[in-house]
Amino acid sequence: MKGPIKNILVYIDGSEASISAAMYGIALSKSTGAALTALYVINTRALNDLLKARIFIQEEEAEYHRDLEDDAGRYLNHVKKLAEQKEIEIKTVSKSGTIHREIKTEIKENGYDLLILGGVSSIRSRRDEFFNETDRAMRSVNCPVLIIKDEDSVWEIFESI
Amino acid sequence: MGFLELLDKKLIKVPLENFSKNAVLEELINIIDDSGKLRNREQAYQDVLKRELLGSTGLERGIAVPHARTEAVDDMVMAVGIAPGGIDFEALDGEQSSLFFLILAPPHQAGAHIEVLSDIAKVTKSAAICRLLLASADADEVIEIFEED
Repeated sequence: MKGPIKNILVYIDGSEASISAAMYGIALSKSTGAALTALYVINTRALNDLLKARIFIQEEEAEYHRDLEDDAGRYLNHVKKLAEQKEIEIKTVSKSGTIHREIKTEIKENGYDLLILGGVSSIRSRRDEFFNETDRAMRSVNCPVLIIKDEDSVWEIFESI
Repeated sequence: MGFLELLDKKLIKVPLENFSKNAVLEELINIIDDSGKLRNREQAYQDVLKRELLGSTGLERGIAVPHARTEAVDDMVMAVGIAPGGIDFEALDGEQSSLFFLILAPPHQAGAHIEVLSDIAKVTKSAAICRLLLASADADEVIEIFEED
């Protein structure tokens, strides 16, 4: 393994952009030999906030929690299959909590040298309330961050390896 | 997908024309229906009513967030309505509700649905924003309030 990239973390939230990020991570892992990990975070902070704000009732919170757990399994499994197609080993991790904090903690605890994210939101407002979790992760982590854009070209790169 | 991505001038009504809970819910759903984003208007309405039966989504300080997961939409959609005079929405604090955020999400978009509801919870904590929204004259002003930096 050569070069500065040895341990890559890709954040998966189920969006198409995050799947593209995973595909790019697989391609990067293939070309650099870097270890690759995919992380999904169940946003229990938001669920708790919605319960506290009384937007959710208890049974709704439980139902959404179950759905998010299912999503975590499904999307991480999907990414695992994509990696298998390219004969790349990928570790999958599922956590619960505040998304950007869990990403930051995962990086700190496991020494990743690159975080790959599937795009950031367009700036329609600078109000703090509207910064999404991917934006917050990008700003708060202490390792280099790669933002993946142009899903079509990522697909081509993935297909070509 | 967050709150701002769902904010659409065509889906904002200022002021709302109706003065009862169910009529307001219908009015908001009709706005979405008129925009062509509903596959089944009646199902959307029934799913929102079903959620209201579990407990009113009329919160405190005049805010209401009716919502439902429904097969009636392919993608998440939000209608915003403002009733400066207030409406009895069976709110938790017994006060009248004035700011309405109706969200419809397909069953498979739990993560995005939570993100949008969470954005609403955060932004409506600001008494200043709520006051500005109540004083807004039209949809353009509502959008300006949220987009202001």
